[in-house]
Amino acid sequence: MLTRFHLELGFAALVLLIGAVGLIGSSGLDFGWGADGPQAGYFPFRVALIMIAAAALVGVQAFANRAALRRVVVAKPEGLRRVLGFGLPIIGLVIVAQWLGLYVAMALYLLAVIRWQGRRPWHTALGVALGVTIVTFLVFELWFQVPLLKGPLEIMLGLG
Amino acid sequence: MLANLDALMHGFTVALTGYHIMLMVGGVLLGILVGVLPGLGAPNGVTLMLPLTFSMDPVSAIILLTSLYWGALFGGSTTSILFNIPGEPSSVATTFDGYPMARQGRATEALTFAFLSAGFGALVGIIVITLLSSAVASFALRFGPPEYFAVYALAFASFVAFGGGAPVKTIVALCLGFGFGMVGTDTVSGSMRLTFGLDELIRGISFLVVVIGLFGLGELLLTIEEGPEFKGASGRIDPRAMLRAAARMPRYWFAMLRGSAVGVWMGITPGGPTAASFMSYGIARRTSRNRENFGKGEPEGVIAPETADHSAGTAAMLPMLSLGIPGSATAAVMLGGLMIWGLNPGPMLFIEQRDFVWGMIASMYLGNVIGVVLVLATVPLFAAMLSVSFSIIGPIIVTVCMVGAYTVAGAPFDLWLAVAFGAIGYMMKKLDYPMAPLILAMVIGDKAEDAFRQSMLSSGGSVGILWSNWLSGTLVTLAILFLLWPFLALLLGRRNAAEVAISPDAGHEETRA
Repeated sequence: MLTRFHLELGFAALVLLIGAVGLIGSSGLDFGWGADGPQAGYFPFRVALIMIAAAALVGVQAFANRAALRRVVVAKPEGLRRVLGFGLPIIGLVIVAQWLGLYVAMALYLLAVIRWQGRRPWHTALGVALGVTIVTFLVFELWFQVPLLKGPLEIMLGLG
Repeated sequence: MLANLDALMHGFTVALTGYHIMLMVGGVLLGILVGVLPGLGAPNGVTLMLPLTFSMDPVSAIILLTSLYWGALFGGSTTSILFNIPGEPSSVATTFDGYPMARQGRATEALTFAFLSAGFGALVGIIVITLLSSAVASFALRFGPPEYFAVYALAFASFVAFGGGAPVKTIVALCLGFGFGMVGTDTVSGSMRLTFGLDELIRGISFLVVVIGLFGLGELLLTIEEGPEFKGASGRIDPRAMLRAAARMPRYWFAMLRGSAVGVWMGITPGGPTAASFMSYGIARRTSRNRENFGKGEPEGVIAPETADHSAGTAAMLPMLSLGIPGSATAAVMLGGLMIWGLNPGPMLFIEQRDFVWGMIASMYLGNVIGVVLVLATVPLFAAMLSVSFSIIGPIIVTVCMVGAYTVAGAPFDLWLAVAFGAIGYMMKKLDYPMAPLILAMVIGDKAEDAFRQSMLSSGGSVGILWSNWLSGTLVTLAILFLLWPFLALLLGRRNAAEVAISPDAGHEETRA
């Protein structure tokens, strides 16, 4: 069970981490105010500092109110399961897209998600997957000539 | 001014031919299509049509291209309202109240409000162009880096200061936005910032990818968590709901006028439609009688950004023609077109090419009326998409988001960014972090920093240059007052910061209803 308290702390930690990374990155630049005004690192350095301070403050406030925040449930187990069930295939889509291209990845993604998660019959899943992919190809690739990520299949078919 | 009206009448005789009206209809329809698709925008549409215009005469060519632009501006609002995915950057602010309305089953109403107020804003913008074309051109010439910075600062301050939500969390959101906006090549010094040796980060993090993640994917995750179906969104097509909404429009006359004023101002001082829509939403939220309802599906929250967006879009044509300053990517492509057609943008254009300039201005009146009619006609089509089961439309929206994220820069890496920001968006909504300041900081922060540092370059590091003339001095002072307002209010004990910052029910107006 995920409580508000844990999520508050977790997100504050993430912001703190982003701030620390920003601080490291900008300290390598000139972060002073030179004769010609603020240098490249001036604003990044200060933004990172404020970010760290604000994240720490959120953490402290969460800790001060921990009794109340522990009682607030952010996501129920079945809701969280649905989120993961929906989110993980998206990650799968991105992974597949990196080496098979966006068209193949989206067709596979649509087919799999509509068939198994939506529990739709095969012909619906196949129809939507092929239909959306083909329409996307026609609109982007042919009509507006905006090339999308392509993989070995498109090259094999002579479309890449 | 009377001379301008004469010129306009002449313009109508140029623009009102069957051929030109046909071009307007075609351009608007194509524009709606590219506007609706998040991966495509007005720049793509204009680029696609540009080769076709080489054989046309310049008036017909500009009528086709500008009509396409209006269509794209209208179409961008559709997906903002129905799916929380802004089809165009300038439609981001429309999602704040448009999407909650759609979720309450008031999609038709929200779309009608959006399109009619957009049309109204566009008309105001054109009327201003008609009346002030010569005077405004010389005003825009005064704009240097300090003035640019002042305009951005004011847009920024008016949005942030008027926003609700916990102050600490707003600061976190702002810093995240500024931080992400700074990644990449620094345009002033040319050095790499915060790229950590990653080639993918050299061109920076596009705010469009962030928007697609935070709003599009993040919202899908929240929707699926609550249940497998769209909650309350009705796909029923009801023409009577459209008429009822249209009949209620006059009630919001003040919001429309205010939004148009903000938009015209931001269009002429080339702040652009995106900044205009944010600023207008922020001011409406601060001054409206219904401010508690903002973010929960308040019609004024749709009307304010839409009027500003379109009046800025139309008013921005003026600096483009009279000064050759492209306020947007679309305008830049159109400028390229002007050169190819053998026209030189600049003040002389108004004198040497009267047929062209006034024909175009006249066509803007008609093009926007056609735009409103055509886009209203597409409402039933898009509203019907909501009645498709979420188990099918949800995954389709995911693929649309992915295609949109990829097309921003043609980079596979951006797909990962979109997914990461989807997760961040989900958590931010859960914890009542406001998203709008993050987006605004990304959009404006980068430009504001450039303008600020360019001003400092010319003044030798002295901030005094911001107050060196009345224009930038007034704007900057106003911006500082706006920014300080919440702190002053806080000092006066209007609310307890710590309590607001953390209590689970506070700051809900920023999130979904």
